[in-house]
Amino acid sequence: MDRFLPLVDAIIRGHRLSEADGDDVSQTVWLRLVEHLGDLREPAALPGWIRTTTRNECLRLLAARGRVRPVDPQDATGLDAVVDDVAGTDLLAAESRQLLREALAALPEARRALLLLLLADPPVGYEEISRRFGIPVGSIGPTRARALEQLRRTPALRRLVEVTP
Amino acid sequence: MTGPLDDDELMALLGEAVAEEAAVSDRRRTAARAALTWRSVDAELAELLHDSALDAGAAVRSGSDEGGEPRTLSFGHSGLTLEVEVEGETLLGQVIAAGEAASVTEPASVMLERPDAHALSAEADASGFFRLEGVHPGTVRFVVEQGGWSLTTPWVML
Repeated sequence: MDRFLPLVDAIIRGHRLSEADGDDVSQTVWLRLVEHLGDLREPAALPGWIRTTTRNECLRLLAARGRVRPVDPQDATGLDAVVDDVAGTDLLAAESRQLLREALAALPEARRALLLLLLADPPVGYEEISRRFGIPVGSIGPTRARALEQLRRTPALRRLVEVTP
Repeated sequence: MTGPLDDDELMALLGEAVAEEAAVSDRRRTAARAALTWRSVDAELAELLHDSALDAGAAVRSGSDEGGEPRTLSFGHSGLTLEVEVEGETLLGQVIAAGEAASVTEPASVMLERPDAHALSAEADASGFFRLEGVHPGTVRFVVEQGGWSLTTPWVML
């Protein structure tokens, strides 16, 4: 469950809900998931289910709050269509980031730890990284390159290439 | 994405992905974990029959910030139907029994449950009508019981 929290967050953010409404959507998605755990036998179906449920609940809440109308198939032009396109692009980006996190989780612990340290904000200096990992400063660059190469070969990143033409 | 990402581009995207994870609030994490405690064994859920928020054009109400019309929802399960209408913090509802359930003489009891607050409850009158006050926005579900018949709705946001 925890690993999908950022995906739910990202989709909610894409719909520009208030913080409180966003909390409600997030909570509703997890409560719904708990209701449906019995029907969801295929773990691979989970991300799609979460994405669809989050999006639908966002749209429903916006409609309940009187801010946008649900998509009307008869009216594919005008503002609604534009809003929908934006949401679609956001959704793709949100899914890409989910796949990146999954790829990262699939790496061996040491490689993941190195990448996370290199991504740390505020940045951690190479000397400090060298000290913590017991590798020479000169090896950090090549080690990073190997870690990213391995990341590219994970099933999650291969899927990322498929979903983003 | 156009073409394969080079290492620096990939690192930049990874940075965004990791930051997004770090940005999840403790509040949402806690609420997600708490959701697990609501797992009810074998509770067959009522079907959402209608939600005014799903109607086409539901929210296009010119010149009104408040949205105008009340939210209406209806749910059905076996012999029972629950209809509710929410306006401000007042919820008016009716429990309608059909078929065998219609022969039940006891009044229906209705509970409005929330994952993070006490439930509200009401007893319906002889015609099945009930009223709840202090119904603020948030995630809720309804549990109706009437003489051995019961209905539990999916979670919905009001």
